[in-house]
Amino acid sequence: MISHLDRKLWRDLRRMKGQAFAVAMVMGCGLAMMVMARSLVFSLESTRREYYEANRFAEVFAMMKRAPNSLAARIQKIPGVGTVQPGISVQVTIDLPELDEPASGMVRSMPDYSPPELNRLFLRRGRWLIPGAHGEVLAGEAFANANNLQPGDSIAMLLHGRRQTFRIAGIVLSPEFIFESRPGAALPDARTYGTFWMPYRELSTAFQLYGAFNYLSLTLEPGASERTVIVELDRLLMPYGGRGAFGRADHPSHIRVSDEIRVQTMMSMGFPIVFLSVAAFMINAVLARLLNLQREQIAIMKAFGFTNWQIAVHYLKFAFVIVAVGTALGGCGGILLGHRLVLLYHKFFRFPDLAFHADRTAFPLALLLCSTAAVVGVFGAVRRAARIPPAEAMRPEPPANYRPSFVERTGVAHLLSHTFRIAVRNLERRPMQAIFTIAGLALATGILIVPNAFRDSVALVLETQWDSIQRSDLSIGLAEPNDTRVRHLLRHLPGVITIEPARGVAARIGFGHQCRQLGIQGIPADGLHSRVIDDDNHLIPLRPDTIVVSFKLAELLGAKVGDDLRVETLEGKRPTRNVRLVGLAGDFTGMSAYMDLPSLNRLMGEGDIISSANFRVDGAHRAEFLRALKGIPSVAWVAIKESLRENFRSSTALSIGIIQKIYLVFAIVVAFGVVYNNARISLAERARELATLRVIGFSRREVGAVLVTELVVLALIAVPLGLLLGSAFATVIVQAVNTETIRLPLVLTASNYAFAVSVVAIASSLSALLVLRMLNHLDLVSALKAPE
Amino acid sequence: MRQPVFRVRGLTKIYGAGAAEVRALSGVDLDLYASELVVLLGPSGSGKTTLLNNLGGLDVPTAGELQYRGQDLTAIDEKALTRYRRDTVGFVFQFYNLIPSLTARENVGLITEIARDPMSAETALEMVNLGGRLDHFPAQLSGGEQQRVAIARAIAKRPEVLLCDEPTGALDVRTGIVVLEAIQRANRELGTLTVIITHNAIMADMADRVIHLSDGHVHHLRANEHPVPASSLNW
Repeated sequence: MISHLDRKLWRDLRRMKGQAFAVAMVMGCGLAMMVMARSLVFSLESTRREYYEANRFAEVFAMMKRAPNSLAARIQKIPGVGTVQPGISVQVTIDLPELDEPASGMVRSMPDYSPPELNRLFLRRGRWLIPGAHGEVLAGEAFANANNLQPGDSIAMLLHGRRQTFRIAGIVLSPEFIFESRPGAALPDARTYGTFWMPYRELSTAFQLYGAFNYLSLTLEPGASERTVIVELDRLLMPYGGRGAFGRADHPSHIRVSDEIRVQTMMSMGFPIVFLSVAAFMINAVLARLLNLQREQIAIMKAFGFTNWQIAVHYLKFAFVIVAVGTALGGCGGILLGHRLVLLYHKFFRFPDLAFHADRTAFPLALLLCSTAAVVGVFGAVRRAARIPPAEAMRPEPPANYRPSFVERTGVAHLLSHTFRIAVRNLERRPMQAIFTIAGLALATGILIVPNAFRDSVALVLETQWDSIQRSDLSIGLAEPNDTRVRHLLRHLPGVITIEPARGVAARIGFGHQCRQLGIQGIPADGLHSRVIDDDNHLIPLRPDTIVVSFKLAELLGAKVGDDLRVETLEGKRPTRNVRLVGLAGDFTGMSAYMDLPSLNRLMGEGDIISSANFRVDGAHRAEFLRALKGIPSVAWVAIKESLRENFRSSTALSIGIIQKIYLVFAIVVAFGVVYNNARISLAERARELATLRVIGFSRREVGAVLVTELVVLALIAVPLGLLLGSAFATVIVQAVNTETIRLPLVLTASNYAFAVSVVAIASSLSALLVLRMLNHLDLVSALKAPE
Repeated sequence: MRQPVFRVRGLTKIYGAGAAEVRALSGVDLDLYASELVVLLGPSGSGKTTLLNNLGGLDVPTAGELQYRGQDLTAIDEKALTRYRRDTVGFVFQFYNLIPSLTARENVGLITEIARDPMSAETALEMVNLGGRLDHFPAQLSGGEQQRVAIARAIAKRPEVLLCDEPTGALDVRTGIVVLEAIQRANRELGTLTVIITHNAIMADMADRVIHLSDGHVHHLRANEHPVPASSLNW
């Protein structure tokens, strides 16, 4: 049996369903975002952790030129080292008949007769390699899927200059390649780059590395210091061309997943807090104003002997119904969106089983926040209502105190219409209410800025990267650094318009106590294809024997222009030199360092050596050019700008687009909810006044103008504030998202602002229209009677 | 022969339907003339307010004839009704219904802005003896003063018809009389057809005609040969 009070609650709710739903929706949006983002973090973290554990992902990694297998035993003896797994890792060129350009890849060795101790693979399809068999490989899933390769298919590779055909035994995943991209490339291109595994004997024989290894991974004993192990490992590997060991924190695939987790963690806090605060505001405002409207009813309940507590509980139930609906909507929405986004992650991250796990802790957190807002709203309003003696409260409310508004006191009163005066005085008399509405509208405007700022920022990065920095049509990499004779060969390929050589050298760059490991890019000082530009898009000249590093790297090192950086190269004779820092590059890809190519070669103490080249190619001869490239064994990889761009458009851009749209829809819901709610409440509170105006002869439009004027005044104050607020949100979130691998610039465009303003304007207009339509149903007769 | 301002024949208003049907008016016949002051008496539920609302264009009858100066009020649309209220009718309510955010002068000025041939707000307030409280907000006025502002607001447009629903219902005797004086003065000086609804039979003494309603129709109608000034009333 429902009590009569509950029946009243139910009917009140039905009467206010529009407003209640608007509040529930805003709350739902905040919660959905929180559930979505927190669950994604939770899913990624737990899946990665389980994957790492189950497949024994190593903790320290090192590359070297060639070390004898016997060295592994010595490495094993370094204090703190757990399991050591030496192997071979080589770059190969792949010949896919369907592809115009040469594809490339990395081949790793597998122990011949036992499964690997570390970095174990996960077999997705097909079978494992048969011990002792020849001519078989395991292929990574990303490449296999992108090129539609199945177990049993054949694939041709150039191994150390010799073309060989292999049968794909199985399609696998590796904890080392959750994110798979060519080393040094900012963006993945699964079509032209893949990873493969082959038996040690076969691979080492092909590369004349039998009895040796050039790649090493190891685990640490519990409590061991990674730093100490790396120092000792580097010392042991130095004579064998060691390129500097690194931990998981510097592992390319690990970094990308961690970055995503970091971004989502940030998103799971920042956005939802803003949304839930708006929802809290709204619940508070709706309740406070509802209770004000029900002042006489509260008085009657009190007159009948209900306690203040009973009355408070009654209205709290009202709030909790809204909170419950919001939680249900948000929970379902968040889980649904989470499922969708997890599917999207499958495009970028290769896990054996990346399933969506809802983070249940998000629910109580959101519930707590909204309930608190509701409780505060109810108690405040009930206390106000309960203070008035019932007899007094049952009489119609005496006219509220007004005074000429601030605007009028400035002496322009005679210019204002009565409608405008009513609106402005109303706002001034209830400043808190006006402030809440302004805050809500400003927040709604603000959250519209953030998703588009992200979109614009990514667009700028790409534009700068591809149109200002990397201006060549395509780049190639050589399997080994080579002298300029290769350049001669390349220059005479069909269709080449210009060619610029380049060289990458792995190095540790340090200043003071800080140091970072990265590749120094040697490029021609007067180059046109790849250029170094500063934050203002100005060219930075590369002067002989100096270095330019990215802002991010300089910041991490604590170095400034004019300082001497310690450059410790990790290749060749591994010379270490101090080089003067002469400029800061405005790179978005995080850490980078540039030198003039001859200077870099001088520093290395080597001749005219190149390791890659950038081309501009005549479009008419492109296919010919690519075919010719396929025939040059020393070419290890090819990166075609257009295909990278296209690939980016269809993957990363797509996912950024989807996420941006989700946030945008949420922001629009909030904008609409806030405006609608405010207009509805104003209508309810002032039904009597508005009906009076209608009765004494005002038309609907004229009465509507009173409501609309108020809304417009509020919006005019709120929108500029909202734009400021949105810019601040965007700044904070972009800064928080920036990592060592990516530095997004803050881009706030006029069109972004214009969009936010128009959404709020449209939402406001639609809400106003809805409310104006309700004016048509205003009951003139009953509004004039004494309030019941 | 004198033409009536309102010609009412068989006026019927039914709220709801079926078992919930309420007959608020059932066949009212009535003529109301210019310049007269009419007091409508009757117990609760007799249909006084419904009749007044129909006369004022706030409500439309279910059946019957309702003519204002030969114009059929039952046949005109919402827009024309608004026009009719704006140009012709002045309302005074029991609970004043002032706009709390506007001063006395502005509450009246609201009407003078939209009316065809209004008097100034100051003149209207002068007529109800509130010339000294022009810039006070409703909250700063007593109940009687608020009601007089409402009367000033109603008469500022020089309406042909002034409809007052229990204008003294929320006031004490002394204040009530001041308000009735204001209404009577407007009636005499502007020649406005004035209809006052009341429970208070004593007020019949100031009327030109007294109409008794009961059960939704005119029970009886009496002309008052010697209406007395409102100031001489007492209850």
